[in-house]
Amino acid sequence: MNLLTILVAKVAGFIIKLLSLGAGSTWPGHIALAINPRIARDILSTNKIKVVLVVGTNGKTTTAKLLRVILEKNGHRVIKNQEGANLLNGITSALVNNATLNGKIDADVAIFEVDENMLPIVSTEITPTAVILLNLFRDQLDRYGEVNSISAKWQNVLKKLPDTTQIFINGDDPQLFYIGSKLNQKVNYFGLSNKHFTLSEIPHDVDSVYCPVCGKRLDYKGISYSHLGDFSCSACGFKRKNVVDFEDSKFPTPLLGRYNLYNRNAAIIAAKEVFLIPDELIAKSLGDFSPAYGRQEKIKYKDKTVFMLLSKNPVGFNQSIETVIENFDIKKNNIVLVLNDRIPDGTDVSWIWDVEFDKLHEFASKIFISGDRVYDMALRIRYGLDHDIRIENSHDRLSFKDVIIYEDLKKCLDHAVSSSTPSNDCIILATYTGMLEARKILVGRKIM
Amino acid sequence: MTIGWLYPDLMSTYGDRGNVIVLEKRCLWRGIECIVKKIFVNDAPEVVLSCDLFMMGGAQDLQQEIVNRDLSGKKGELLLKKLNDGVPGLLVCGAYQFLGKYYKAADGTIIKGLSFFDMYTAHPGTQVDRCIGNIIIEWKGKQLVGFENHGGRTHIADKSQTFAKVIKGYGNNGTDQTEGMIYKNVIGTYLHGPILPKNPEVADFLIEKALEKKFTKSIELTSLDNKLESKAKSVIIRRLQTPHRE
Repeated sequence: MNLLTILVAKVAGFIIKLLSLGAGSTWPGHIALAINPRIARDILSTNKIKVVLVVGTNGKTTTAKLLRVILEKNGHRVIKNQEGANLLNGITSALVNNATLNGKIDADVAIFEVDENMLPIVSTEITPTAVILLNLFRDQLDRYGEVNSISAKWQNVLKKLPDTTQIFINGDDPQLFYIGSKLNQKVNYFGLSNKHFTLSEIPHDVDSVYCPVCGKRLDYKGISYSHLGDFSCSACGFKRKNVVDFEDSKFPTPLLGRYNLYNRNAAIIAAKEVFLIPDELIAKSLGDFSPAYGRQEKIKYKDKTVFMLLSKNPVGFNQSIETVIENFDIKKNNIVLVLNDRIPDGTDVSWIWDVEFDKLHEFASKIFISGDRVYDMALRIRYGLDHDIRIENSHDRLSFKDVIIYEDLKKCLDHAVSSSTPSNDCIILATYTGMLEARKILVGRKIM
Repeated sequence: MTIGWLYPDLMSTYGDRGNVIVLEKRCLWRGIECIVKKIFVNDAPEVVLSCDLFMMGGAQDLQQEIVNRDLSGKKGELLLKKLNDGVPGLLVCGAYQFLGKYYKAADGTIIKGLSFFDMYTAHPGTQVDRCIGNIIIEWKGKQLVGFENHGGRTHIADKSQTFAKVIKGYGNNGTDQTEGMIYKNVIGTYLHGPILPKNPEVADFLIEKALEKKFTKSIELTSLDNKLESKAKSVIIRRLQTPHRE
């Protein structure tokens, strides 16, 4: 019966791709679901596939890739959804595209990134073997709504999953730890060790620093970033416990930044607990990890190295800035900021005022700015200065101090790269579609 | 000058911190000494007495509840006294609603406000679309831009207290073309963006009023280079008035 559904979806997907009419990563699923709304469930039931869902505001793509690499290097055959195609149609597309006409898939694992808001819908169609909850930060309030409402949704969804589903939760996030504490399933918490809790004061870009049980402001022994840390409530006793980190072990850290330690730990704990892969094999398979598109990706352009960090919300941007400052020399590198406001970026750019950009004035050799909302970002950077400053105007750009502003992204990148010294990198921090556009200019083609 | 930033950790979901940064920097750039006083839940009520200008942003429901409790006693009383005395303030979104008479939530629950503004807000229910998007309004003959994102619809009693006229977007309720409210020297508005960076004339208005109140004489601020601000604003206005993009 589903033979026809799969056939139609595959053919349609093929034609759409051939004629470049739309994304091959969502349309086949869209069509298949229109014919048979239960198609995902049907395909999964005819196969023996362990499904892992990865959910969270930041780090889904990187965590999914880390886990996939570990599993593939250890003999598993893994399918996945395309990054960004993280609604039910994207996940169904992955199933349809990988299935033969009679619904067979030559894989034993599926790793799906799931949109924050879509976890309820996805998990009614797919019964996961494991769910990984990475973090929950403010992101695109115009689209997602507020953090508390998403957290309540997740709680409801997980409660309904079978007792056998393995749940992995970032135990340093109070809101997520609270979700875990209410579940019947076995929950494994991952997090970081004390030496990474270097912040003693609660930063500005937090969302969940009030006790989810009683509403009192939480106490922190230390914070890694945003509201992630060793928290406790002096009023009701709610506190972080049983959090596993892999700090003193032999696992490599394939990516820079604290946020990637969480992603790495999430992938490792799932590989250990769900797939029973021994530590030394996990360690070995992470040795030569190459990052996902735009996530600390290094690209050669005009004989220079461009280092690209996707930065799509306040916490993500702050982590990118922190990572750059910790790992690169001061006053040596040009920084490029790209701010877009299309649907995938979020149409409200207010959030840039929650980001700590001021440090970049000290750190960067020059700051270049572009994107749909170039002047909003330029204002944000200007207000990081303590003195009023004259804005210079030339035919294709505005500038002040060491800040150069271009509406045209290509001109911006060319100037930033050509004025960076040979031995130093040009570092791009960009929102989602800004990253895709910059990447297209740098490598000469679009990725999706 | 002292800027009182009410509940920076609870009422700051939408980048409203930018308003405080802009007020502070525009003082500093002019050589006006300025400190930002963050006011938290459980701080002594008297902290509001030292402030010459107030800013409070929007929040999530749970956080708003915590703030309501904190302002229900003496702290709220002292704040109201300052505002009634002519101390300027900028109250955005959730804070604006809270300064009204009441807020009727989507489920019908009534949450009492501080009744500084003669208005009320009602949420039409979760099946009705929120007011979301870029917005252009007109204030004192000048266009202002911002981004609004609110479920509640606000109805003001006396239209002469309207802050600005809606040119494009929803404003208070999407029907009567009013946006926000101004009473004494206090502005209540739905504009995020945040409002002040791209609309420096509003920032300077607040600073001027604060100084006039503090030093009881009329003040004229020195001018600053607003080229970047004007550019940011005009680009958005042009884009919103070109139909194909939005």
